[in-house]
Amino acid sequence: MNSAVSIRHLTKDFSVGIRGVKLRAVDDVSLEIPRGEVFGLLGPNGCGKSTTLKIALGLVRATSGSTSILGDDAASAQARRRTGFLPEAPYFHRFLTGRELVTYCARLSGVKESDLEAAVARALDLAAMSAAADRAVGTYSKGMLQRIGLAQAVVHDPELIILDEPTAGVDPVGSAAIGEMIKTMRGQGRTIVLCSHLLGQVEQVCDRIAIMDRGKVVLQGAVDEVLSRRDRHLLEVSGLTPEAEAAARRALESAGAVINSVSRPRKSLEDLFRELVTGSKDA
Amino acid sequence: MDSLRRTYWIARVTFLEAVRQRLFSFLLLLGAALAGSSVAFRFLNFGQGELKFVADFGFGIMFLFGSLLAVVMTAQLLFAELDNRTALTLLAKPVGRSEFLLGKFLGVWAVLGVFIALLCGVLGAVLLARASEVAALAEAAGRVPPQVDAGGLAVFALLQWLRLGLVAALTLLVAAGSRTFLFSVVAGMLVTLGGQLQWLAQDLLNKGDAGLMQKSLAWFATRAVPNLQQYNIGDALVLDPAGVPEGAAAAALLSGTLHLLALLAIACGIFRRREI
Amino acid sequence: MGGRWLFSLGAGLLIAAGSATDRSWASLRPCIPELSRSQLEPSAGQGVLLGVLGGLRTVIADVSWLRSYVLWERKEEAGCEALMRLSCTLDPNSRYFWEQAAFAVGFDMANWEIRRRGGYARLAKEIQDHLFTSYARKGILILEDGAKFSRSRAPFLIVAGQLAEMKIKDLRLAASYYRAAAESPDAPWYAARFAARTAWQAGDRKESYAWFRQHWTTTLRVRQEDRSPDDLAELRMMEDALFMPTSARIPRQAWER
Ligand SMILES: Nc1ncnc2c1ncn2[C@@H]1O[C@H](COP(=O)(O)OP(=O)(O)OP(=O)(O)O)[C@@H](O)[C@H]1O
Ligand SMILES: [Mg+2]
Repeated sequence: MNSAVSIRHLTKDFSVGIRGVKLRAVDDVSLEIPRGEVFGLLGPNGCGKSTTLKIALGLVRATSGSTSILGDDAASAQARRRTGFLPEAPYFHRFLTGRELVTYCARLSGVKESDLEAAVARALDLAAMSAAADRAVGTYSKGMLQRIGLAQAVVHDPELIILDEPTAGVDPVGSAAIGEMIKTMRGQGRTIVLCSHLLGQVEQVCDRIAIMDRGKVVLQGAVDEVLSRRDRHLLEVSGLTPEAEAAARRALESAGAVINSVSRPRKSLEDLFRELVTGSKDA
Repeated sequence: MDSLRRTYWIARVTFLEAVRQRLFSFLLLLGAALAGSSVAFRFLNFGQGELKFVADFGFGIMFLFGSLLAVVMTAQLLFAELDNRTALTLLAKPVGRSEFLLGKFLGVWAVLGVFIALLCGVLGAVLLARASEVAALAEAAGRVPPQVDAGGLAVFALLQWLRLGLVAALTLLVAAGSRTFLFSVVAGMLVTLGGQLQWLAQDLLNKGDAGLMQKSLAWFATRAVPNLQQYNIGDALVLDPAGVPEGAAAAALLSGTLHLLALLAIACGIFRRREI
Repeated sequence: MGGRWLFSLGAGLLIAAGSATDRSWASLRPCIPELSRSQLEPSAGQGVLLGVLGGLRTVIADVSWLRSYVLWERKEEAGCEALMRLSCTLDPNSRYFWEQAAFAVGFDMANWEIRRRGGYARLAKEIQDHLFTSYARKGILILEDGAKFSRSRAPFLIVAGQLAEMKIKDLRLAASYYRAAAESPDAPWYAARFAARTAWQAGDRKESYAWFRQHWTTTLRVRQEDRSPDDLAELRMMEDALFMPTSARIPRQAWER
C-alpha cells in the first residue's frame, strides 16, 4: 500500500428533515492520494469535499464504500494517531491559551510527556504562533485561529496532514505564509491533503489535484499534466525595443513558429498587494 | 493506560472550562450563601427543632441547585464541544468516542463534587455552630440536647454526589443522541423528575394486589430509571443517625453506582453512532 | 462503530441496578416519613408532589403554613384547611402543624361557618351544635393522623380530648382520649386527673375512681418523684363523695399529711 489515503467507491447519503429525504452528498468517489505529495481537493460550495474528508477520518459513517489511511482502516485509532486534521472554520476552546490548547491536543494525540514541551514549541514555531501563544484563544483573530489550528494538527508529528480550507478568512499575506508552511511540511516528507477555494494558491503548492462537483470527482491528476498546454509556449523578455521585436518575429517565423499574440504580462492583484502590504499584525 | 490518560485530560479540561464559566461560580456562591444564611431564615421555622430546619433548608438548596447545575452543565459542556465543532478536532485525534464522553462526564462530576463538598462544608459549619448554642439552651431547660453527626454528613455528601452523578448521566444519555442543547436540558430535567418519582413505581412493584400488567410496567420503569428519592435522607443521617438502618446507605450507594455505570455504557453506545 | 456490546452491558447493568434498588429502597423507605404517609392513604397527586419537591419539602411546608395564616385571618375556610393539610403532608414530623391545624379546624372553623350562615342569633341551635360536632370530629381525625408520625402521642390525645369535651360535649369520649394520653409513656402530669374528672362528670363515678386508683397505684406513685400527692388528694375527695368505708379506701401512706 503506497497510498496515504485511499478512497474506494465512497457514497454518503444524509437524511434531511423529519421525513428523512435522502440527500446524496458524496456519490461514488474514488481517490488515491500518494505519499509525500500535496494533494488539492477542489470544487464549489456543497460539493462534498468536507464530507469526504470527515468520512476518511471516521467522524461520519459512509453509506457505502471504503476508506483507508496510511494502510489502516480509517476509523481506527491507529490511523488517526498518524494523522493531523484542521477542520474548516476551526474554533477552539476559547478559555485555554494557545499553548495550553496545543499541549492538550498533543497529550490527546499520544505525545510522550517527556517530549511534550519541545513538540509544542516546534508546532507553535512552525505556525508562527509563538509570540501569541500565551493569550487566550478567545482573543485570536481569524487568521490566528487558522494558524493555531495548524499547530495543533502537526504537534504530534503526523505523517498525513488534512487541512480543510486552511486559508479561509485569511488575508493574502497570511495565506501566502500558510502556503509556505505547507511547502515546509512537504519538504519534511509529509503528505498533505488540502481543500481550498484559492485556485491560484492550489496551483502553486499542489502536486496533484482532484475536482469535485455535486458529489462526484470530475477530474483528477498531477497539476503539471492537467494544466500545461503542450502546444503553446511563453517567452518572457525585458528591454524589447520595436527593432528587437521585429527581428525576433522574423527569426521565429523563418524557423516555422507561429506567433499568436504579443502582450504585456500583468501583475496579479495578489502580487501587487503583497508588495505594498508588509504583513498582518498577527504574523 | 493511554485511554485512561486521554480520558483524564478531557475530564480535566472540561473541569477547567466549567470552572472558568461564570455560571458555575455564580451558582456556587449563591448556593453557599443560601445554605449559610439558612440561619437567618429561621423565622420561617414552625415548631420543628431549629437544627432540623437549618438542615432541611440546606439540603433543599443543595438538591435544587445541584440538580439544575448537573443538567444544565452536562448539556452545556457537551454541546459547547459539538456546536463549536471542537469535538471534531478532538475526535479526529486518536480519541475514542467513549473516552470523550466519559471524559466529559468525569469533568462534570468533579465540578459537582466541588459543589457538594463546599455546600456540605458550609452547612456542617453552620449546624455545628448552632448545635452547641442550642445544646446549651436545651441542657439549661433539662431537655435532651440535639446531636449533629459529622460522619452522617459525610455519608450524605457521598450519596448526594452520586445522586447528582446520576442526574448528569441521565442528561448525558439524552444529550448523546439529541441535536440541540435546549432539547437536552428539557429532556434531562424531565428524566430527572422521573427519577424523583420512580419510587411510585417501586412501591407498585412491592404492592401485593397490583395486576400483572401494572407490575411488568413497574418492573421496566424501575430498571430503566434510577430511584433518586432514596438519597433524600439527609436529616435522618445527620440529626438522627440511629434511625437509619445499618447498611442502608451502602445499599443505596451500590444500586446508584450500578445504575450510573449502566447509563454511561448506554450513553457511550449511543454516542458512538453519532455523526459529528 | 459497532458498540452493540455497550448496549448489552448497559442492559445487564440496568437489571442488576434495578434489583439492587429494590433492596436498598426497602431499607431506606422508612427513613423518609413524608413518604410513609401516602402509603397509609395513597393518592397519586400527593406522591407526585412529594417526589418533585425532594429536599425542599420542609421549606415549602413552612411557606404554605405562613400563607395559611393569611387565610385564617380572612376566615377562608377551604383554602386555609388545604394549606394547613399541605404543611402537615410535607412535614409530618412537625407536631406543631398537626396541633395547630386541628385547633383551627376543630375550634375556629365552626364559628366561621355559623357566622357565614347568618350568625349565632339566627341559626337554629341544633344546626349550630351539629356544626360544632362535625368540625370537632374533623379536627380529631387530623390529630389521629398526626399521632402516627410522632413518637410522643400524648400531646395529640390531649388536644383530641379537649375537642371532645368542649365542642362535641361528649365527656365519655373525652375521658377515653385523656385516659389514653395518661397511659402513654410521655404523659403530662395533668392527663390522669383530666381523665378522672371528665369520666366523673359524665356520671361514671365508680369506674372513674377505679381507673384513677389503679393508675395512681401502678404508675403515678411509682413514676413521679414526689409520689403525686395532689392526685392522692383528688382520690381522697372521690372516696369521700362515694361514701366509701375506710377498709375499701387506699391505705394511708406514711408520707401523707
Ligand atoms: N450533517 C449533515 N446533514 C445533512 N446534510 C449535510 C450534512 N453535512 C453536509 N451536508 C450536505 O452535504 C453536502 C456536502 O457538504 P460539504 O460540507 O461536504 O460541502 P463542501 O464541499 O465542503 O462545501 P464548502 O466548500 O462550502 O465547504 C451539502 O449539500 C451539505 O448541505
Ligand atoms: Mg467544506
